[in-house]
Amino acid sequence: MKKTKKGTMEQRMFRQYLLLVLPGFIIFTIGLIIPMFMAVRYSFTSWDGMSAEKIFVGFQNYIDLFKDSNFRDAWLFTIKFTIGNTIIQNIVALLFAVALDSGIKGQKIYRTILFIPCLISAVIVGFVWLKMFSNVLPALNDLLGTNINFLLFGKKETVLSGLLIANNWQWIGYWMLIYLAGLQSVPAELYEAAKVDGAGAVKRFFNVTIPMLAPAITICVVGITTGSLKVYDLLVSSTKGGPGRSSTSMIYETYTTAINGRQYGYGSAMSVTLVIVLLLVALIQVKGLKKREVQA
Amino acid sequence: MFRKKEKDDIQAQPYTKKTFGVQIIMTVAAIAFIAPIFIILNYSFKGKRELYLSSPLSLPESFNLENYVKAFDKLNLATTFTNTFIYTAISVLILAILCGTTAWAIARCTHKFFKFCYIYFIVGILIPYQALFLPIYMIGYKLHLTNTRYGIIFMYVATGVSFGVFLMNSFMSTVPLELEEAARIDGCSVIRTYISVVMPILKPAMATLIIMQAFQIWNDYLLASLYVSKKQLKTLTVAIQSLFSAQSSDYTTAMAAIVISVLPIAILFLSLQKYFIKGMTVGAVKG
Amino acid sequence: MKRKKVLCTVLAAMMIASMATGCGGNDDGKAGGTEKKSEGEKVTLTVLAGQSTTDAGIEDMIDEALAEKYPNIELEWECVDWGNDFQPKMQQYMQSGLPDIMIGKAQDVSTYAPQGVLGEIDSKYVDRGLDAASENVTIDGKTYGLVYNALYQGVYYNKTMFKENGWEVPKTQEDLQKIIDDCKAKGITPFASHMVDTWSIGNVTMQFAMNDVFNNDPTWGDKFRDGKVSFSDSKEMQTAYEYNKLIYDNTFPETFSTEQTDCDAKMVQGEAAMKVSGSWSIQNFLDIDENFEFGIFPFPNQTGDSKLIFEPNITVMTSKDTKHQEEVNQVLDLLTSDKDLAVDILDYTKTASMLKDVTPTFKNPSQEDIDKYAEEGNIVDVTLGNNQLVWGGFQEENAKDIASWLQGDLSFEDCLKASDGRVGASSAN
Repeated sequence: MKKTKKGTMEQRMFRQYLLLVLPGFIIFTIGLIIPMFMAVRYSFTSWDGMSAEKIFVGFQNYIDLFKDSNFRDAWLFTIKFTIGNTIIQNIVALLFAVALDSGIKGQKIYRTILFIPCLISAVIVGFVWLKMFSNVLPALNDLLGTNINFLLFGKKETVLSGLLIANNWQWIGYWMLIYLAGLQSVPAELYEAAKVDGAGAVKRFFNVTIPMLAPAITICVVGITTGSLKVYDLLVSSTKGGPGRSSTSMIYETYTTAINGRQYGYGSAMSVTLVIVLLLVALIQVKGLKKREVQA
Repeated sequence: MFRKKEKDDIQAQPYTKKTFGVQIIMTVAAIAFIAPIFIILNYSFKGKRELYLSSPLSLPESFNLENYVKAFDKLNLATTFTNTFIYTAISVLILAILCGTTAWAIARCTHKFFKFCYIYFIVGILIPYQALFLPIYMIGYKLHLTNTRYGIIFMYVATGVSFGVFLMNSFMSTVPLELEEAARIDGCSVIRTYISVVMPILKPAMATLIIMQAFQIWNDYLLASLYVSKKQLKTLTVAIQSLFSAQSSDYTTAMAAIVISVLPIAILFLSLQKYFIKGMTVGAVKG
Repeated sequence: MKRKKVLCTVLAAMMIASMATGCGGNDDGKAGGTEKKSEGEKVTLTVLAGQSTTDAGIEDMIDEALAEKYPNIELEWECVDWGNDFQPKMQQYMQSGLPDIMIGKAQDVSTYAPQGVLGEIDSKYVDRGLDAASENVTIDGKTYGLVYNALYQGVYYNKTMFKENGWEVPKTQEDLQKIIDDCKAKGITPFASHMVDTWSIGNVTMQFAMNDVFNNDPTWGDKFRDGKVSFSDSKEMQTAYEYNKLIYDNTFPETFSTEQTDCDAKMVQGEAAMKVSGSWSIQNFLDIDENFEFGIFPFPNQTGDSKLIFEPNITVMTSKDTKHQEEVNQVLDLLTSDKDLAVDILDYTKTASMLKDVTPTFKNPSQEDIDKYAEEGNIVDVTLGNNQLVWGGFQEENAKDIASWLQGDLSFEDCLKASDGRVGASSAN
């Protein structure tokens, strides 16, 4: 008797919870998941994106992907870009945060200045840095009489560094703010306790600060990695994937293939592959980082 | 409980060798970071010819506002600005409400379906909607969402909801279960409990979410160009992008347009900085 | 609690209001679309305009002229960048139904007409344009596009500099080489170029191919698809590719970081003698120095019989399924008959007319040269080449390989092979 009542109670609760979840669930499904499955379906066709007929070609598109050197190069660039971003952005943002937290004057001013670039849309950031590298910085050379090569977007070897500079300029302030917030909520007692134990500044940083920052590190690492893997806007108005194909990211390659190249089916196969990789990467990261959090 | 070291507690102390060094390094970094902004401002006051004949580093001959006038006109600013504002404001408000309820329900209900829901939403963070260009449009078209205001808002909600749920879910540990149980014992329904007990506690989390999403939506280019390309529905970013596409020659106007587009969100940030940081604090600590 | 309720109400109200405005916008469009129009009732036509940045703004001119002549018609413009967004927008509309009027480039006709979505243009309007205009927008005797203006492409040269150094306009590769050598001896950069824009590499490559490949073999692209010729085998096509190297070896070292406007500025300031380009540079030249004296000549080919290239630019297409054929025709009538409007647009875009008896009045120092080539019949429509080998997905991609080759990251053989491998994407259909 009691049991069934509890059952209905739980059911009632379940229904109410369901009511809360459903709107988001439905919007999300229509807006993103169904298109995703449509893309999977297209990836098995040779559709050009325009005509009415979509001819089924099985796994042909996926087989072709393995032979496509442009696809491989796009992956290579995207991975390099992502690794570079994850390392530089995390370290520099953390260092900046520590510096601002060290009791220097005018902390708020620095914080504001470092944060401002991320208020600007990536399309604009790309354009601004294109001008910086090709006009403004070379003029600095003339002024100082130096001969530093600032034409970073003009060479295959340097275009990656150029884009990393642009991307880091935009985002460091954002992640720094998150680290700063994390730092400022570390209980002062912990530091004092460590000090009493005779730990030096470096030791305190690694034994107290880093473990206490674990949640912030998780957010930043996952955020930067997945964000970088999806880079597109930054390229549209700066290098346009060039010179040659040396800065073509996965999304950029997918877009040009599917739209400009009128190979919608093939392009869909690319995006499906990308989604799978993104899923794997994030899964591994979250698992790994959460584990460290627990240990800490 | 530990005493939280609040940011206001950090007093500027007299310089030691170390802090002085840090101060100098940060000043250099700050100058490097602000330099491109100055360049944008500098360009935006220069005349077209001046831009090419003078050094990019030289100051403008005069502060003429011609570029700004042109940019106002070319961007159709009154319309594009209002549009962007409406899309952003409504989308983030819906997101804040929706993600709160969703994340809470997922965290509290142990039924299998909700476990599945969590993973389902998380997967969404990783789906690059940029790559799903045509299906997103096609489904929008079938539902009569394209070239409408509610259509673009719908899409912003759909693409933002997964991150929102992820974020909100990570805040759920801050909501004490005892309070909820007390409310339930008082006879509150689930939804009632949420509104009266949970939502107030989640406010900072919502602030974080609103801030993070507001940036993205304000600066979004792809979805906006996909869904609202009619002249009277265009957003600011889309309008600006057309100023620096291939064969364009009007960089000075483009620079003025950039200033105009960044200004509102920069002012918003500067005036709400306190809340921004507070929101983020919660995110970083409880994440 | 109360505050929350108020907030919720306000929110809900805002949502509803926004949806209402959204719907409202939609309904207005539909009201114009479905109701039978009576005298004086407004009809709204949807227009998708793929523009170059130099075209942006002509929509206001057309609106103004339309308000005067056909006040019953209102155009709902959707202006996008031709290079980046026109094709995607068209793809979207293929799924959902085309706008009443589309404005693109002449080469779009061969992309979309075979899909059976474009309407035939009444000969009444076609006849008001030059014959050369309709040639490449006509498929199986039916004309699907109304070509409004044209760009000229070739080598722009600094007239003053040519005069001072006693250089003649080069007819052959040897002539050109002599000028290049003389330039180098005098410390002048022979060519201005801006290879950071991959499109410009693609553009000049097509210019070269027009005079070295398609002049002899107008169906080279078809043969390519039949497997009879290929980039790896065709001496002519390789020559066209190799001219890029000639430019690259004789241009600014920082060309891969130089944008068009900077490049044009350097040209005007006398830092370079020549620039392979098109009419889109004129505005830049004159913006920087309104007294800059420049001319144009076709890039010399191997046989010394190069023709100046023209590209039909603004091309008006109509939807086959429009519900307002009558009004669409009225718009076409306005465009083809209002000569003041035509001159205004041509002056604004710095382009040449494709309508009979219309001549732009803007200052164009290269007009003299253009007239000379036109009189001798030495002009050729690049749409031919763009139809044989399409831009999106083919020329565009090849240009990226050429850039890699120029930078030494790809061998010439691999660059050609890559173009051959793209054969499936070389035609729009």
